[in-house]
Amino acid sequence: MIEVHVIDVPEFRPMVETQRDNPEVTISGPVKGYWTIQAPTQLTFSRKAMKMKPAVWYGIFTGGLNGEIAEWGRDEVRVIGTNRPL
Amino acid sequence: MPEKLGTREDASSAKSFNDAMGVGTGELTGTRHASEDGVQLVLRGVDHTARPTWKLNETVEFYRDILGLPLVHAISARGWGPPGHHDFLHFFFDAGKGATIAFFYYIGSERPERYGPEEHHFYFATHTAWAVDTEEELIQWKETLENRGIKVSPYTKHEILESIYFTDPNGYPVEITRRLRETELIDEVDAKLTIQAALEIETESREAGQLMPDIDTVWRRKAKLVDAYKESAS
Repeated sequence: MIEVHVIDVPEFRPMVETQRDNPEVTISGPVKGYWTIQAPTQLTFSRKAMKMKPAVWYGIFTGGLNGEIAEWGRDEVRVIGTNRPL
Repeated sequence: MPEKLGTREDASSAKSFNDAMGVGTGELTGTRHASEDGVQLVLRGVDHTARPTWKLNETVEFYRDILGLPLVHAISARGWGPPGHHDFLHFFFDAGKGATIAFFYYIGSERPERYGPEEHHFYFATHTAWAVDTEEELIQWKETLENRGIKVSPYTKHEILESIYFTDPNGYPVEITRRLRETELIDEVDAKLTIQAALEIETESREAGQLMPDIDTVWRRKAKLVDAYKESAS
């Protein structure tokens, strides 16, 4: 299970908003200032959909990531599940 | 504390450069934390930043004439204190809200190679960001400086700041920035958790004789800390 914590502030909120219609994910929160996005096997974020500039894009997992970044380009990042320790 | 009023020791009484400048060893063993003595020290913003220059004319032209910052104070003195100290000028340009941008010009010295600019992010890490209040002011800075012939970076929106960058004749980076929003309690909470995660990973990496591997490792530890934080009672 992939888990991404998202700080409930304007610059990161698009991470939550752009996953709202994704049937694969579960969104909960905000709990004490954090949204949590869960996905069973894979989770993809689009920079353009989130309208993010690079200075924010390359820090989107700063809220915490239980998962592994499989690919990270300028416009898309794909996260997969991992057994690596937290 | 009041017993020191008016009777403080002076730097000129110090016997060495390190004593005069309060240069410590960097060793933290034996130090005490703020939480132990209950004294809350307070800072009230920037008084001045200072850097050395070996280009007096260009520095004054840049800050006073091109940027248009008033020259508000200048010290000119014989070298004193540590042996070998050059005669010097120490001059200050107004940077708003009582803060100044200051330079030292060491008379009769040449710039050592290692004080020159480098095309590397390590070098650019040492900079000062000067504040403007509004988006309009930031745009005015960029457009006006470009019209005055200065090369200015594109706008960069960081998480809570929007900035432009340029360099002065010494090669020093200058940042002009505006706050995009006020920070909230969650920003503070999150900063604590991020740094806690990174502290743990640094400690574990050191114990393993390694460098910190990547930010992903910090993010995974952060996930664990946020899980615990969300489940905690407070």
